[in-house]
Amino acid sequence: MTDEVAIRRTAVTRAARKLRSGVSGQSRLERRWGLLLALPAIIGFVVFSLAPMAVSAVLSLTDWTIGSTPSFVGVDNYVHMFSQDPLFLKSLGVTTYYTLGAVPLTLVVAFAIAMLLNAKVRGLGVYRTIYYLPTLVPSVANAVLWLWIFNPDFGLLNSTLRQLGAPTSNWVFSETAVVPSLILMSSWGFGNIMVIFLAGLQGVPRHLYEAVAIDGGGAWRQFRHVTLPMMTPVLFYNLVTSIIGTFQVFNQAYIMTQGGPNNASTFYVYYLYTTAFTKSEMGYASALAWALFVIVMVITVALFRSSNRWVYYEMGAAR
Amino acid sequence: MPTDPRSLPRGLSRRSFLGAGVAATAGLGLFGCGGQSTTKSGGQANLQFMYWGSANEKAAIEQMTKAFEKSHSGTKVQPVHVPGDYETKVNTLVASNNLPDVAYMTAPTAYRLAEQGKIANIYPYIEKYSQLSGRKPQNFFWYGDKQVAGTPAASEISLLWYNKDLFTDASMTPPAEADKAWSWDQLLEVATALTLDQNGKRPSDSGFKADRIRQFGLSAPLSTQWTWYPLIRSNGGDVTDESGTKYTLNSPECVKVFQDLQDLIYKHKVAPSPAQLGGGDTANAPTTTVQLQTKRVAMAIDGQWTLLDMGESDLKYGIGVLPTYQEPITQEAGSCRVMSSSTKHPEQAIELYAYSVDGSNSDLFKKGLWMPVETKYYSDASAIDAWTKNDVHPPEYRTAAVDYRLNNSVRDFTQVLKNVPAIQEVLTPAIEQIATGKVPAKTVLDGLEAKIQPLLKGRYPIPNSI
Repeated sequence: MTDEVAIRRTAVTRAARKLRSGVSGQSRLERRWGLLLALPAIIGFVVFSLAPMAVSAVLSLTDWTIGSTPSFVGVDNYVHMFSQDPLFLKSLGVTTYYTLGAVPLTLVVAFAIAMLLNAKVRGLGVYRTIYYLPTLVPSVANAVLWLWIFNPDFGLLNSTLRQLGAPTSNWVFSETAVVPSLILMSSWGFGNIMVIFLAGLQGVPRHLYEAVAIDGGGAWRQFRHVTLPMMTPVLFYNLVTSIIGTFQVFNQAYIMTQGGPNNASTFYVYYLYTTAFTKSEMGYASALAWALFVIVMVITVALFRSSNRWVYYEMGAAR
Repeated sequence: MPTDPRSLPRGLSRRSFLGAGVAATAGLGLFGCGGQSTTKSGGQANLQFMYWGSANEKAAIEQMTKAFEKSHSGTKVQPVHVPGDYETKVNTLVASNNLPDVAYMTAPTAYRLAEQGKIANIYPYIEKYSQLSGRKPQNFFWYGDKQVAGTPAASEISLLWYNKDLFTDASMTPPAEADKAWSWDQLLEVATALTLDQNGKRPSDSGFKADRIRQFGLSAPLSTQWTWYPLIRSNGGDVTDESGTKYTLNSPECVKVFQDLQDLIYKHKVAPSPAQLGGGDTANAPTTTVQLQTKRVAMAIDGQWTLLDMGESDLKYGIGVLPTYQEPITQEAGSCRVMSSSTKHPEQAIELYAYSVDGSNSDLFKKGLWMPVETKYYSDASAIDAWTKNDVHPPEYRTAAVDYRLNNSVRDFTQVLKNVPAIQEVLTPAIEQIATGKVPAKTVLDGLEAKIQPLLKGRYPIPNSI
């Protein structure tokens, strides 16, 4: 190797280094800024979500009653939950019942309304606003409003049923009717889901409908073979978020029924809340929270697994 | 040495920005963890007084704390009003060791915090303060020998309220003296006469439409022990035996009362069901004042505290004593006032404590929300007049409430029994079952035995003298 070559090589190496360090300096800068700008969110997540979760995981292994010194009890809380706590199973059952009713009903109602609002009619903006309005009513006001709608003596529902000569119900004041009544009420809050459906519907390519029409397909076939398959990703998203949401149903029990009558509306999170703040059993309440977390996670994972079979992505593997 | 002249300031600003961000976040976190409830600045003691209640109560407490500051120079009191979710607030404050110096507390929480050492034993102070020593032993929350978690600032009893406009016949008017109290059958008779459907028919008339009742004779909500507990005690029953270790709510005496209450609604149709009342829980139902005023009900069993509301309405209200079974009985209770054991200023805090439970330091006694606790307000004529001689308290109040509380009251079981939150968790749904009328009282109360018996841990002791 001659000196000239060696010198040239050194120069090339230097240049490469310089280049590399230049690029890496730039990317380091970007990384730093990225991190810095994401920091509030990261800190928020760590301080307000991750850390409390970690603490509650530890607490779930203790018998901590607020004010006393916690002592470690291993998995006793979890054993107690499954073997000796009738309210755990009861509240889980009530919540599942609610989910099985509220999620399909809300999805169907939201989808149907979204389809209607996707039609080309005059005053569409007004209709869209009107149908979205109930979502803007605060949930506490909504609960109180529905309490009056459900009033067996002079509520809207029974008054209407009486006029039609139909049998009336005690709605949320009856052990058997309370969950179906709350399911009915849940469909009122379809606005947000509807907007997502509406956005999805507007993304369905027109030419697919035209293709079905050319082949002689009517409205049903257009819906069955174009709208529905193209909407499955949106449907899937709404399904997952709705299920997670309904498993956390709380306000209705807290404001309207206090879990009654006879625990018929003791939803899981309401039970968790009363355990933590009425009975002050924070250790056991933490265990309840973790059990719910696992249950919701299992359901979510199962839904994601099943999605391969029924969710259609136009972009193939690009999910 | 940096080649780019801009990199130095930028680098520094970036670092300082980062540092500032971290510091700010850490500061925020520390702030969230709270400081001390009591501080002392410039020789001044700062105390916190935490309480619940309506706007009326808020105004009265703020007035009370201001008056305290005036008479106790060097002490500042910050009133902390917690209108809802009080237990949640208390629990978070206890968990972070920030309990206010003086606070309202429900009985079960007060007992628990006393046993955990979070609140001070006020027994050593009783003798020093006449506001405390002038009370009966049953007016304290005892959690052991010479151990007192607190005492109420105010007392309440259960009463029978009515709309005077609906009682034109004096013989039907609810009696205002305990020894003239109606029997259950007499109450039922009057309630039946006052129940009307949309066509003006009574339950005893033919063609009475039970699903279209315009006016109920009586409201006796099972959702609260203020209705059923005095009645079972009147009939010689109780939730447990005297030791608080044996379940007795399925005794014939108790079953009779619960069945009577259920029959009022579903058999005799003279009282609204929880559904007809407009709320499974009384929290969502219209107030007793509104129900009487609108003639939705003619009579109602409710607490003495309703008087404040009544006094501010145009309703011509009357007060009677509860019906009696074997002996005339009403229920008495008052929330516990507690003092933190970790207060920085125990001397000032106990001063505030005693001042705040003094029957003469709040206008809420005159306004009708509260009944005083000190014995003198029931035995000394001028002391009685001091809080009852006004437009809010009707003439019959003297016998129907003052004497009734003094001679015929028993303490609410939730204030003397141990493990009440766990017991309530199974008791409430069972009573809701009776209230919805699907299952007879005996079946429910028998079924409850296996659930409540394991939860019974005895009663808190009440000594015969202080």
